Amino acid sequence: MAGSGALLRQCPLLLPQNRERTAYEGFVTAQGRDFHIRILLPMDFQLKNARIECSWHLKKILHGYQHILKQRLHSCPDLVSFMVELKTVLEIALKNTQDLHIPRPPEYYSCLVRDLEILGWNKVVYVDTGLTTVKLKAEDSCGRQHLVTLKLNAKYPTEPPDCLVDFPVQFAISWMPQNSLIDIYNQFLAALESLKEFWDAMDEIDGKTWVLEPENPTRSATSRRIAIGNNVSVNVEVDPRHPNMLPECYFLGADHVVNPLRIKLNNNMHLWDPEISLLQNLKDVLEIDFPSRAVLEKSDFAKDCGICYAYRLDGTTPDQVCDDPRCGQPYHRACLYEWLQGLPSSRQSFNVIFGECPYCNKPLTLKSSTKKL
Amino acid sequence: MQRASRLKRELSLLTTEPPPGITCWQNESQLDDLRAQILGGADTPYEKGIFNLEIVVPERYPFEPPKIRFLTPIYHPNIDSAGRICLDVLKLPPKGAWRPSLNISTLLTSIQLLMAEPNPDDPLMADISSEYKYNKQLFLLNAREWTEKYASQQKKVSKPLEEKINQSKTGTTNDSAVQKRKGSNICKKEKKSRLDS
Repeated sequence: MAGSGALLRQCPLLLPQNRERTAYEGFVTAQGRDFHIRILLPMDFQLKNARIECSWHLKKILHGYQHILKQRLHSCPDLVSFMVELKTVLEIALKNTQDLHIPRPPEYYSCLVRDLEILGWNKVVYVDTGLTTVKLKAEDSCGRQHLVTLKLNAKYPTEPPDCLVDFPVQFAISWMPQNSLIDIYNQFLAALESLKEFWDAMDEIDGKTWVLEPENPTRSATSRRIAIGNNVSVNVEVDPRHPNMLPECYFLGADHVVNPLRIKLNNNMHLWDPEISLLQNLKDVLEIDFPSRAVLEKSDFAKDCGICYAYRLDGTTPDQVCDDPRCGQPYHRACLYEWLQGLPSSRQSFNVIFGECPYCNKPLTLKSSTKKL
Repeated sequence: MQRASRLKRELSLLTTEPPPGITCWQNESQLDDLRAQILGGADTPYEKGIFNLEIVVPERYPFEPPKIRFLTPIYHPNIDSAGRICLDVLKLPPKGAWRPSLNISTLLTSIQLLMAEPNPDDPLMADISSEYKYNKQLFLLNAREWTEKYASQQKKVSKPLEEKINQSKTGTTNDSAVQKRKGSNICKKEKKSRLDS
């Protein structure tokens, strides 16, 4: 009896249909929606032999979750705990499919299209098929291209869309129900102008120095690791609101090179002039000129031995190649031999070594042609 | 024999394309003695710290892994008070996972990763490890304090500027070395102060 009480609390709309309590019919509720369901239990009340009948709606939502439900039927001790599990699964399934099941009101689409027309289609770079995501482009006064992604919810324009931007600072929009996309666009343009100085400073650094990190800085990246010399670099963390103030600086490199730089920074800190550019300030204060990007002669890496990183070794060339076509790593015979013969996992039979490719782990054989390896 | 060509290529790669937050250079143009710095990662207790490491490249490199240890004291479950690091890629098989497809750059990146994600189930420092497991708040506090105390560059700047370039083979020494650590069986050189500033 206690069991039926718990069931009633869990699913008040699911009622027993017979005295033996082997058949239940009613509704299961999730996210405020009721779904028709019928559960038929065998005489021994073994849940794993139960039969669940769903309305077509519920069936459609639970499609793809059958194996989970089947497993739950096997593991749950009684009907109450199964119903708890079923509701959890249903909640998840509803969350994952909601977008497909709830069409937006027609006013949403007409309003959005009207707003896009007012804004001008030339500013739109992308609209997804469901008309829920819109990407707009804008150019700031320095000719830099920027994008804003708008994720519109079904209550647009009563509720504002989520705006995703590539900014170093928060982009919060102010929104009234009578506003439209053009208001967001104008706020976006204003925000771009407020960050203009910051991007000017960063662009100058990216253009005139050798930035080691990040490789392809995004517009939101506020730090740069700038090369000063061989294996010496400075990491600057720029405040996007005050780009021309002294940034936070960390020096990386050997002490005997880095210490003089640090001393200079300390002694010349008072020379920092917010009126001139960040890069010029750094140059003045550190009394250095930043080197421009050095390009490593990219000798064909693919041809070199994967162990010694060279092409020629004692007059030999890498003539052993991993047989796996996806790897194909070349090695010098001598290098591969020396590595494989030291491994406990390699096996030698006469003059053939069986081992694994150091790069891809695929089996590999090596014939030792001469003894003097 | 393979060591020379390997190191030459590796060093030029480390100069032109260093991994994020990592610098590595030759110590006084000795081929087998390298120094490296790892910048403590954001959202770790090592944030804003600069950690110095010593890399000794053995004769048989790349058939044997380089020996890497921290010179800067670091509060970490897998790094002991001598700076030794418990990491499988730093050991030869069958115990370890070193292989010649790895290199100094990837090892330093692995160490950077270990700093961000300690492995308390394979501890070197039992106390720190249990602290990490059962009292994370205290661990974070201690690790941050050590970072502040030993690895912070801001503090070095404010110190009296008495740094001198020490050309001797033993490396940089400093009167204000707070703590001495011996890398007993890590490197066979004479002991030296662990703090190089």
